[in-house]
Amino acid sequence: MTRPAARSWQLAALAAALAIAAFAAGTREARAEYGDVVMNAFSTEAGMRPVVFPHWFHRIRFRCKVCHGDLGIKFQAGGNQINMLKIIDGQFCGACHDGGMAWAVENCNLCHTGTPNLPTQVHESTIQKLIAPGQAKTAPAAKK
Amino acid sequence: MRTKITIRLAAGALAALALPALHAQDGRQTYEQKCAVCHAAGLAGAPRPGNAADWAPRLKAGKAAIYRNALQGTMRGMPPKGGNPDLPDAAVRAAADYMMAGAAIAAKPAARKAVAQAPAAAAAPSATAAATAPVAAKTEPGSGATQANAFNRLLRPPSRRNPPPAEDGIHDPAVDGTLQLQPPLAAFSSMPRSNAGNRVDWVKALAEEKIAPRWERDKPDSAAVVMDLNIVREVKGSMPDVVYPHKQHTEWLDCSNCHPALFVPQKGANQMSMAAILLGQGCGACHGRVAFPVSECRLCHSKKKDGITAGAAAPHGDTPR
Repeated sequence: MTRPAARSWQLAALAAALAIAAFAAGTREARAEYGDVVMNAFSTEAGMRPVVFPHWFHRIRFRCKVCHGDLGIKFQAGGNQINMLKIIDGQFCGACHDGGMAWAVENCNLCHTGTPNLPTQVHESTIQKLIAPGQAKTAPAAKK
Repeated sequence: MRTKITIRLAAGALAALALPALHAQDGRQTYEQKCAVCHAAGLAGAPRPGNAADWAPRLKAGKAAIYRNALQGTMRGMPPKGGNPDLPDAAVRAAADYMMAGAAIAAKPAARKAVAQAPAAAAAPSATAAATAPVAAKTEPGSGATQANAFNRLLRPPSRRNPPPAEDGIHDPAVDGTLQLQPPLAAFSSMPRSNAGNRVDWVKALAEEKIAPRWERDKPDSAAVVMDLNIVREVKGSMPDVVYPHKQHTEWLDCSNCHPALFVPQKGANQMSMAAILLGQGCGACHGRVAFPVSECRLCHSKKKDGITAGAAAPHGDTPR
């Protein structure tokens, strides 16, 4: 009496494991474009998705010096304390994203596209891949 | 109790075993509901399901490319996901599989017929069709078995490099903005490629004028202040010495970006190690984050130790450590 029941449970468990494995194989892993910067100094706290900054897109249009020299953006993810007030005042992103040279701040969803709670980091960077690989996916936004 | 167990067992087994069948059925359903509008009649050159002539040239580029085109859209008229952004990626792939599957089966007889009927003068094009069709058919069933023993199993295959925002794992595909963003490959396709980072050779792209990044924010015609001076750094160990070119750096950067915060502009004043660079200091401020990473050893360690390249040794200002 116990034997067939036990076997069928085993089979059910095996089937369930297979189904879970098939599902897990289909879930996404982080494999962002090299240099994409996730900015989450204030976004999650303010109830917004983090910003994903496509570095490559801007590099095609501007030399490094424009943003990192003239606009004073430091070579450090999380080191600039950019917020919407500064952007609206024409600092940082706001120097171009003013509705003239590039689209303006009311297009929230073009910048705030990150999956919720992503921490601030440079994606595919050496530090992310070799030194702190655990944080790559969806670490909680405890980090400022 | 017993019936419960059997029901659970049956459900579990169904979920596990019926996946491929479900996949095919889903593909057909998605095709009929969404894709058939254009693809059934081949509107604007859309490949028709099961039509070997339509699919053979596309299959040549590989299934991954077909999936990518289906998901991201093409310049020729395919909208991303056929204009149905809400469709899950898996459904789009399943629909593509459904359309291709017919073509792969139909390809064999069609190709044979073409060869049989071809007169000598028209032999070349039909021969290529015949050559590609069986290959396309062959990749269908065999792909699962060969993948397990493929080369570079742990490396990211080319089809998964430079993924579009909706698939890169950090953009939220549920946000409408994600689907409006430019996929990197669309921008990179005209640029020279490299082996790491974005897989774009940015310096070459600039030199060949494939891109025209502005030097001043609002002045399209402004020119960079370029300084052409190589600095040779002798390194410990067996690695070739490092040649640092100011030229390629000043094409992008201002002096103040690096001096004096990252590098003191003085001979021997800068301690450097690969460990520090890996941690983001010195060269690591950019290399390993946005510029080519340290895996490309020879791009920096480029000067052979014993002055075999005559003439290069004397004029450079050597910087001792």
